[in-house]
Amino acid sequence: MNAPNFPAVRVNGVSKAFGRNRALDKVSLTIEKGSSLALLGRNGAGKSTLISIITGIHPPDAGTVEFGSRGRSAGVECVFQRSTLVPALTAAENIMLNNYPKRGGMVDWKRLSRRGRDILADWDCANIVDAPVETLAPVERKIIEICRALSRNPSVLLLDEPTAGLDFAGGQRLFKWIREARDRGVSLLYVSHHLEEIFEVCDQTTVLRDGRVVLDRALDGMSIRDLVEAMVGDARRAEQVSAPPAFAPRSLPVLTVESLTVDTRVSEIDLKVRQGECVGLAGLEGAGHMQVVQALCGLVPVASGSVVVDGRKLRRFDVAEGMKCGIGFIPEDRHEGGYVPEMSVAENATLPIMRRLRRSFGPVRQSLREREYARLGGEWSIKAASPRQPAGELSGGNQQKVVLARAMSTDPKAILLMNPTAGVDIAAKQSIYQTIKARAEVGKAVLIASSDDDDFSICHRVIVMVRGKIHKELVAPFSGHELAMAIQGE
Amino acid sequence: MPIVVDHGKETDGHATATSPTHLKALLRGRNLKGLALVPAIVIVGIVGSVTSPAFATPYNIFDNILAFSAALGVLVIAESILLIGGLIDLSLQSTVGFSVIVFCYLMGGGTSGGPGLGLPIEFAIPITLGVVVFIGLFNGFVVSVLKLNSFIVTLAMLILLQGLTLGLSNGQTYTNIPDFILFLGTGRVLGIPVQAVIFIAVFSVAGLFMSYWPTGRAIYAMGGSHAAAQAAGIKTGRLAIGLFVFGSLMAMFAGVLLLSQVASAPSTLGRNMIFTVFAAAVLGGIDLNGGRGTILGAALGVLLLAIIQNILILSSVPSFWIDAVYGAIIVAALTAGRLRTLRDVLIRRQHISS
Repeated sequence: MNAPNFPAVRVNGVSKAFGRNRALDKVSLTIEKGSSLALLGRNGAGKSTLISIITGIHPPDAGTVEFGSRGRSAGVECVFQRSTLVPALTAAENIMLNNYPKRGGMVDWKRLSRRGRDILADWDCANIVDAPVETLAPVERKIIEICRALSRNPSVLLLDEPTAGLDFAGGQRLFKWIREARDRGVSLLYVSHHLEEIFEVCDQTTVLRDGRVVLDRALDGMSIRDLVEAMVGDARRAEQVSAPPAFAPRSLPVLTVESLTVDTRVSEIDLKVRQGECVGLAGLEGAGHMQVVQALCGLVPVASGSVVVDGRKLRRFDVAEGMKCGIGFIPEDRHEGGYVPEMSVAENATLPIMRRLRRSFGPVRQSLREREYARLGGEWSIKAASPRQPAGELSGGNQQKVVLARAMSTDPKAILLMNPTAGVDIAAKQSIYQTIKARAEVGKAVLIASSDDDDFSICHRVIVMVRGKIHKELVAPFSGHELAMAIQGE
Repeated sequence: MPIVVDHGKETDGHATATSPTHLKALLRGRNLKGLALVPAIVIVGIVGSVTSPAFATPYNIFDNILAFSAALGVLVIAESILLIGGLIDLSLQSTVGFSVIVFCYLMGGGTSGGPGLGLPIEFAIPITLGVVVFIGLFNGFVVSVLKLNSFIVTLAMLILLQGLTLGLSNGQTYTNIPDFILFLGTGRVLGIPVQAVIFIAVFSVAGLFMSYWPTGRAIYAMGGSHAAAQAAGIKTGRLAIGLFVFGSLMAMFAGVLLLSQVASAPSTLGRNMIFTVFAAAVLGGIDLNGGRGTILGAALGVLLLAIIQNILILSSVPSFWIDAVYGAIIVAALTAGRLRTLRDVLIRRQHISS
């Protein structure tokens, strides 16, 4: 309808460096009006940097970003994975949050409700207009966020992993609505790790790798295989990603899991980890690989199934019971459940075993605690000013090592790790891999669930999960390409 | 064997590399943070000695300040430990009066001053204990199993117990107090009033327990990061229930101490105490968000408030003004404390940028 010669967004030769790290190198892309572009790339390919430049959080070092004919002000609205809705307010209030229609200085509730109904009617959701958001289905909440973003009339709408937290049916409903919105002239920038979704809602794709555009074309006639190829690249495909520790394949199983089921998200998982073996659990977000490990650690009490650790059967899914049977673990996010920030590093690392650091019913002995910490801290090479420094003051890498040390303090037989290197620098990452390998070499069984493919480089096998079930098992040596394909469900 | 040698080296390396920093940490770290009120207490003490010759006498310090703070102190310990564990119990104040009235009611009737059942003391003590433990169990169950907000639950409990206290006693005052309880109010040990001894003893035991015993540390861990405590194998549900029961029992103990001082049990025993309890705990550095603060700090908070009240009484400030002065001092102290931490943050920031 209006000036079709103006694209919704045009990014021209944008470069950006953080210190010596070149995040983006002359990146260009164009989103036409009423079309939707999939922005793809592995973690660290430069997607987030590009998004932060398009949204104006960071200025580019070179290059420009143009929005349609209207300049920067009418730029981009974003719907991120994390909800920004106020749960107790109605759908209409959330859509017009802080932008209420007023009459005589007061909120005009009638007009608010009517306008909300008009907006939601486009999405076949007019009936939810006066319902509190907390009572709605996840997909309806997503729609409300999208409506709010669109009510500000942006040139382009950014959707970041919009299907996270939705079930399959919810996802399908969302895709249908997004396609209809596109037909009404809404331009989309779509970011997702789920490649099959891309084919549902996008017509163009731009793939980033190491800060450069490696593919920029229409999706017509492309397959998931082509996209993975572009994302992973030849170099990585040829590269031998795996370097697991030496291991006798006939050794005894330490961790045996049979028909593990976690509410509706994970069903009937069987797996075995042997002495000295590192096994990876991979999957897209929501595939259930994290839930499996959380259940084994006792963090999800609704699990069922049989778990045997070194000949002892877990009587229930409970942290203390798991520890008693020989499970040591680190939680998914160290800031949530990893460490107590006010407590010293020594105390954090020895928290599960403090009852052993004393005589009968006496006080915890500082000398025993610090001796134990010296052993654990040395093993993981934790750098702290003193054993009594509060854990909250350490760098991310050292905090993670404190959490790992805590998992090891009970001298577990099976070590369960979730995202063991999330948010740590390269040096800390290598040091953590070294220690995990060393633990495996002394006969521990290691199970790693992770969303960082690098973590699987120390694994003998990787079990890939798709939609709550085991999809495929890769035995080292495998390539990054094979792994990426399996994670996509191919 | 070589492994053992390695460990030795590791420990030695650590000790030599860190002992100067360790000393610094000891001087500047949380050990000192607990003593933040010492300067305030010294200043108030000087003001007291100047304004009244009766202030700086052993009698005033032990018999007035310490002995009369024992009940408050016991309650502050209970609330501080709950707060450190990330919980809150407002109903403690009602449990103070309720437990005492239940006890008097069980033994009461006749000339006791209020209605009662006339049971012998061998029955009255275990029944009272059972009732008090039940209150704690109930609070703990509702908060940690049903996951209701502890502020609301214990506020409701506060009102309920206050009402039960009035109903049971019919608003009357009991005077049937057993001798052993009266001894707590009037007795002396080595010339020092029993309650002053109790004040010092309970704070010492609680302070050591929270700093060095595994359960104390587990309470800090639970309040500092509930998820981290759980992931370390601490049974947080059981611990929370235990803390509520402990709180109720301590409230009963505080009730007994009050009872022994006034030698009679009015149905308003413990009324309005919870405000002073929170004031003392917060002044002493107990963090309402849990995981932070020391028992030593809380003890100093109690002492500061007790000294201020003592001075106000000695200098015959009309008692109607005492609460206003209290409130003003608390607001001033909290503001000063906040300004100090802000300054520390600013200094640290400059340090980093330079």
